[in-house]
Amino acid sequence: MAMTSVRDLDPITLEILWSRLISIADEAAAALLRTAFSTIVRESNDFATVLMDEAGDSISENTGGIASFSCILPRTTKHFLRLFPAKTWKPGDCVITNDPWLATGHLPDFTLVTPIFHRGNLVGFAGSIAHSPDVGGSLWAADTKEMFEEGIRIPPSKILEEGRRNELLVNVLLSNVRVPEQVLGDLEAQIVANEVCAKRVQEFLEDTGLPDFRELSKSLNARTEAQMRRAIEAIPDGTYRATLDADGFDENKTHLACAITVKGSDMVIDFTGTSPQIGRAINCVMNYTHAYSVYPVKCALDPFTPRNEGSYRALSVVAPEGCLLNPRFPAPVNARQLTGHLLAGVIYRALAPVLPDKVIADCGGAPTMRALFSGVGRSGNRFSQILFASGGMGAAPHRNGLSTTAFPTNAGAGSIEAFESISPLIVWKKELRADSGGAGKQRGGLGQVCEIEVRAEQPLILSLLSDRRYNPAMGVLGGKPGALAEIVMSDGTVPHQKSRTTIKPGMRLTMRYAGGGGYGPPAARDPATLQEDVLNGYVSAEGAKRDYGAA
Amino acid sequence: MEPTVRIGVDVGGTFTDFVLFDEKSGRVHTGKRLTTPQDPSEAIIEGVKRMLAETGFAPADLHSVVHGTTLVTNTIIERTGASVGLITTEGYRDTLEIGKEIRYDLYDLFIEPAPTLVPRHRRLGVPQRMDPDGNVLLALDEEAVRQAARKLVDEYKVEAIAVSFLHSYRNPAHEKQARAVIAAEFPDLPLTLSGEVAPEIREFERTSTACANAYVQPRMRRYLDKLQTSLAALGFRGHLYIMLSGGGITSVREAREFPIRLIESGPAAGAMASAFFSRLAGLDRVISFDMGGTTAKMCLVENASPNRKHDFEAGRVRRFMKGSGMPLKVSVVDMIEIGAGGGSIARVDDIGLMKVGPRSAGASPGPVCYGLGGTEPTVTDGDLILGYLDPKYFLGGEMALDPDRVKRAIDGKLSQPLRVSQTDAAHGIHRMVNENMAAATRMHLAEKGRDPRRYTLIAFGGAGPVHAWGLAKLLKLSRMVVPLGAGVTSALGFLVAPPATDNVRSYVARLDQIDWAHVRRLYAEMEAEAKELLVEAGARAEAIELHLSADMRHIGQGFEINVPLPKGSLGPEGLAAIRASFFNSYSQHFGRTVETIPIEALSWRLTCVAPGRDIRLDSVRPPSTGTVARRGTRQAYFAGHGYVDCAVYDRYALKPGDRLEGPAVIEERESTCVVGPDSTVTVDPVYNLIVDIR
Repeated sequence: MAMTSVRDLDPITLEILWSRLISIADEAAAALLRTAFSTIVRESNDFATVLMDEAGDSISENTGGIASFSCILPRTTKHFLRLFPAKTWKPGDCVITNDPWLATGHLPDFTLVTPIFHRGNLVGFAGSIAHSPDVGGSLWAADTKEMFEEGIRIPPSKILEEGRRNELLVNVLLSNVRVPEQVLGDLEAQIVANEVCAKRVQEFLEDTGLPDFRELSKSLNARTEAQMRRAIEAIPDGTYRATLDADGFDENKTHLACAITVKGSDMVIDFTGTSPQIGRAINCVMNYTHAYSVYPVKCALDPFTPRNEGSYRALSVVAPEGCLLNPRFPAPVNARQLTGHLLAGVIYRALAPVLPDKVIADCGGAPTMRALFSGVGRSGNRFSQILFASGGMGAAPHRNGLSTTAFPTNAGAGSIEAFESISPLIVWKKELRADSGGAGKQRGGLGQVCEIEVRAEQPLILSLLSDRRYNPAMGVLGGKPGALAEIVMSDGTVPHQKSRTTIKPGMRLTMRYAGGGGYGPPAARDPATLQEDVLNGYVSAEGAKRDYGAA
Repeated sequence: MEPTVRIGVDVGGTFTDFVLFDEKSGRVHTGKRLTTPQDPSEAIIEGVKRMLAETGFAPADLHSVVHGTTLVTNTIIERTGASVGLITTEGYRDTLEIGKEIRYDLYDLFIEPAPTLVPRHRRLGVPQRMDPDGNVLLALDEEAVRQAARKLVDEYKVEAIAVSFLHSYRNPAHEKQARAVIAAEFPDLPLTLSGEVAPEIREFERTSTACANAYVQPRMRRYLDKLQTSLAALGFRGHLYIMLSGGGITSVREAREFPIRLIESGPAAGAMASAFFSRLAGLDRVISFDMGGTTAKMCLVENASPNRKHDFEAGRVRRFMKGSGMPLKVSVVDMIEIGAGGGSIARVDDIGLMKVGPRSAGASPGPVCYGLGGTEPTVTDGDLILGYLDPKYFLGGEMALDPDRVKRAIDGKLSQPLRVSQTDAAHGIHRMVNENMAAATRMHLAEKGRDPRRYTLIAFGGAGPVHAWGLAKLLKLSRMVVPLGAGVTSALGFLVAPPATDNVRSYVARLDQIDWAHVRRLYAEMEAEAKELLVEAGARAEAIELHLSADMRHIGQGFEINVPLPKGSLGPEGLAAIRASFFNSYSQHFGRTVETIPIEALSWRLTCVAPGRDIRLDSVRPPSTGTVARRGTRQAYFAGHGYVDCAVYDRYALKPGDRLEGPAVIEERESTCVVGPDSTVTVDPVYNLIVDIR
C-alpha cells in the first residue's frame, strides 16, 4: 500500500487508513485498561487515548473511552506545544499535567502526551488521560474552597526526557499521594499506552509510505467537519434557549442559562447569564464546559461518524469568564462534574422544539450520585469503596428512558458481592425505584434504591457527591420531571449531599437515585404500555392514576 | 469386539454435517443434510442411517456419536425458550435488569437495552441473606419460597425456575434448601441453582447464567431425550457424547443439567480441529481462522490447545457490539467473531467512504453472483471479479456464478458513487474485509499481550482459504496452513475432542490471609464431581489430568488473570510458588509486574482432561483422483501487480511433496485457496497446503 501523498486518495483507501488509525487508538486503550489500578478508570471508563497530528489536532480516538476526554486532549496538547515548541520535543519524551485549567477540569486526571517521530521528524502525538487512584488533598470532596486544597498540581513538565524518568518530579508527586504504588502503576500504564500508540503509528507510516499525517489528517477532518455541518444546516436558523436550576452548594443555588444560535452550518452555544463561580468545588472550567457541550450535540446530530477534530469545528461554546462554567484560577473545581453533567439536559431542552426526534429528556443520572465509604474494614485492612450506581436516563422520542443508566457520562456499576467482600458493608437492597421515571408519552428511566448497613467495628466516613435533592430531571415537550434524589440515614438524619459525614456501626443509609424526565405529555401515553408498566411494577397503580389519570 | 466406528454430528442453522471415522481401517467419510429446525434429531437420525448405509457399517459397529448443536444459541437468539421464573434474595429482584448500567454505544442516544430473559413480574424476592464469608445473616423463609413458587407456576405458568441468592457461590445452603421446598411442590419442574451452574462471585453474571440455563433447559431436555430414544430405536448401543463450549465432550447427563454450557458447542469444534492440525504439523503458536458466509472467527491455539475463557456474552441486541447481550459464566473457547464473511455487504456510508459488513446477504438472497435476487455487492462478488473464484467451478461446479450481474452491481452501488474503477472497488471489498479481520485479530492478541508475527494461520471455512493469504500479509505472518476439505475441517473437531470438565468455586481472599483448608476442600469437591462426569464421558479414571488455576489480581484492580497453580502448592508452603506463577502470568499479559501491592484470589478453577481419541489422517485421500494438477491459468488481481496470469490447480490432484510458486489459485470443492506472489506452496503428507510467504 505504498503511497507518498493522500491528495488523490480514493474513498476506499481512506476508509482503510482511518479504521487502522482508530484501531491504533483502541490498542493503546487496551494497554491502558488492562493495567490500570484506578477503580474509576475501570468502572466509569474514566480514561481516553487519542492520536493527534503534529499540530495537536485529533485524528482518531479510542472507541470506548470517555467522550469529553477525547475532546479535551487536543486542547491540552496545544497548550503543551505553546510551552514546548515543536522543535524542542525529542524521541522518548513524555509531558504530563493535571492542571484543571489546561486539562480536564480537576486534579485527579493525569494527561500524558508522547511525541511520535518517523524518520527523524515529529509527525504526531500519542495522548492519554486517566483518573488517578489519588492526587493527595482532601479526597472526594465538593466542599473545598480553593483548588489548593484539592491535591498536588503538576504543571506541564517532562516526566520522561529522552527516555529518562524525571525522578525529582516523580518523587515529589508520589510523596503527596496516599497510594504511591498505584499512582505510579497507573502513570506507567499511560506511558505504555502512549508508546504502543507511537509504535503502531510508526509501523503504519512505514507500511503506507506516507511521510507524515499532514494531508491525511486534513482529509479526514474535512469529512467529519462536512458531516456535522450538514446536520447543523438542517436546523432552521435562529436562537433557541433554555435554563436550568441546580442545587448548587448550600445557600449558593446555581442557575444555568443556555442560548444556542444556529446560523447556516455554524452553531454557537452560549452560557451567558449563568450564575457566577462559587466558593465551593462545583465550578466547571472552560475545557470541561466545552467538552460536555459538544458531546451531546454530536450524539444528537451525527452519532455514527467516527470522531476527530473536524467533528467539532462547526461548534463554538461561550461562557463569560468568572461564571460557574468558566471560573477563574484558583477556584475550587474538584467536583466539576456536578455542574458539567447538567449541560446536556439544558442543551437538549433548548433544541427540543426544532429537533424533537433527536433529543432526550433530562437524565436523573446527571450528575452522577456517588457515595464513597472509607475506614477500617474486614480483617483490619483499610478500605475505601465507591458505590457505583446510576439514576434513570431521560425518555426518548420513541422509547422509555433506560433505567439506571448514566448519561452524559457512562459510568457502569460493579457487583455488590464484590463490593461486600472488600468492605464492612451489607447492601440490603439494590432495586429499581418504582414511580421514579418522569411521566410522559414516553416514560423517563427509573432510578434505583440502595440500602446499605455499616457492619464495621468503628465508624466510617461517608463522602457524598450528589445533586438533584431539590431540582429534578426535567421532561421535554410536555413530559413530567423524574423523581428527586433522596439520601437518608436510619436515624432520620439527612447527610450533606456534597460533603463528608461520619456513620456509626449498625446505621443504615438509604439512597434513592433520581429518575429521568418524561418525553411528551402523559395524556398521550399508550394505555397498553402503561398497563404493562403497572403489571411489572415500574409504575404503581396509584402512580398510574396520579400521573396519567388512569382508572 | 469393541466397536470402532465414531460419528461426529454438527447441527448448524442450515446444514447438519456428519463425519464418520473407523479406527480400525482409518476410513473417513463425510456427509451433509438439511437441518430440520422443528426437531433436529430427525436429520441426525436420517444422516446417521445414511452414513452407515454408505459405508456398510451396522449400528452395532458404532462406538459413539459425538454431537454439537446450535439449538441452545438459537433458542436464545430467537427468544424461543421457556417461560422462566426467578426466585432471588429480597431486595435483588432487579439485578438481572439493572445489569452493568452501561451504554454499549457511547454516541447513540436510542440504543435498545440488552435483553432480559425474565420480566420483572416473574422475578420474586424472598427473605434470606448470607454474608461474603457464607455466614447466615438472615435465615431462609421457606414459606416465602413456597408462595413464590406457587405464584410463578400457578399464576404465571412458568415452565422452569431459577434460584439465585447473594453469595451462594460461597455457601449454597439456602439455594439447596429452596430447591427442596420447590421440588416438594413441583417435583417435575426443571430447576436451576445459580451456585451449581456458575458458582462464581458477581451476582448479575451468575443470575443471568442461571436464568439462561432455565430458559433453554426444557427444550434441550425434550430434544436430548428424543435423540437418545431414536438412536436406540435404530439399534445404536454406543455412547452419545455432547460437545461443550470449551472444546471438551461430556455425557448427556451434564448436557441435560447445564445445557447453557453447550452455547458455543459448534464453534468450539472448529477450534478443536485447528488444535488437531497444529499438533499434526508440530506448530505451537497458531491463529485459527474460520471464515464462512456471515462471520469470521479467530482464536489462538497454543501448544495444540485453544485459548479458553470463562465468560461469554450471548443474545446480543447488536450482534458484534460488546455489552449489548447477556453475560454468561461458562467456559468457552476464547474466540472473536466479527461480521466478515463471503456474504458481507459493501456499501457507501453517509460521508462517502466504503464500508464492508457487518450486514450480510446470508444464503438468501446471497451474493449478487448467485443470481438469487441479491443486488448488493458482497465479499464473494468482489472475489469473483478479482479472479479468485471460478464462475464455473463454484461448489465443485454445482452453482454457476454470474460475473456480468456482479459487474453491473459493483458499478451502480460502488464505482459510480465512489468514483473508482470497477477493479478498485472489487479489490477494495477484498482488502477492506481483510483489514477488518486483521484489526480484530490484532486487538485480540494485543489484549493478551501477544505478537501476531510469531504465529501461523490455519485457515478453513468456505471463505477462509480465499482470504487467508491477504490476512496473513496484513498480520505479517510468514506461514499459513490450509487443511484439505475446508467444509469438513470443523466437523473433525468432534472426533478429536477429549472428555473434559471445568469446575469453579469462588472464594475471595488475600493470598497471605487464605484459609487453605477451605481451598483444599473446594478442590476435593470439584475433583469428585469432575471425575464422576468424565468417567461417564468415557474416560479412564487413572488417565485424568488435573489442571488447577485461580483468577487472581492485585488488590484494587478490577481485572483478574487466570494463573496456573503449581502442583502441590495449596498451602502456606506453596505461597512463594503461587506468587511466582502470578507474576509470570502477569508479565506475560502486561509486560511488567508491580511487586509491592498485595495479591488476592477470587475464583478457584479445576480443569480435568482425559486423553482424547485420536484420528489418523494417513488414509485420507482427496475425494476424486484427478491426475492433472494444473488446470490452466486465469487472470487474477494482486495488489502492486494488477491482473496477472495466475496458475490454477486442482487440489485433488496435488500429491504430498508437490511444490508450487505463487501467484496460484488452488481449487477444491468447498473452497479455493488463493496465494499471491512471493509465496511458495508445498503439500504435506496429509495433504495440507503449507504456504510460506516471503
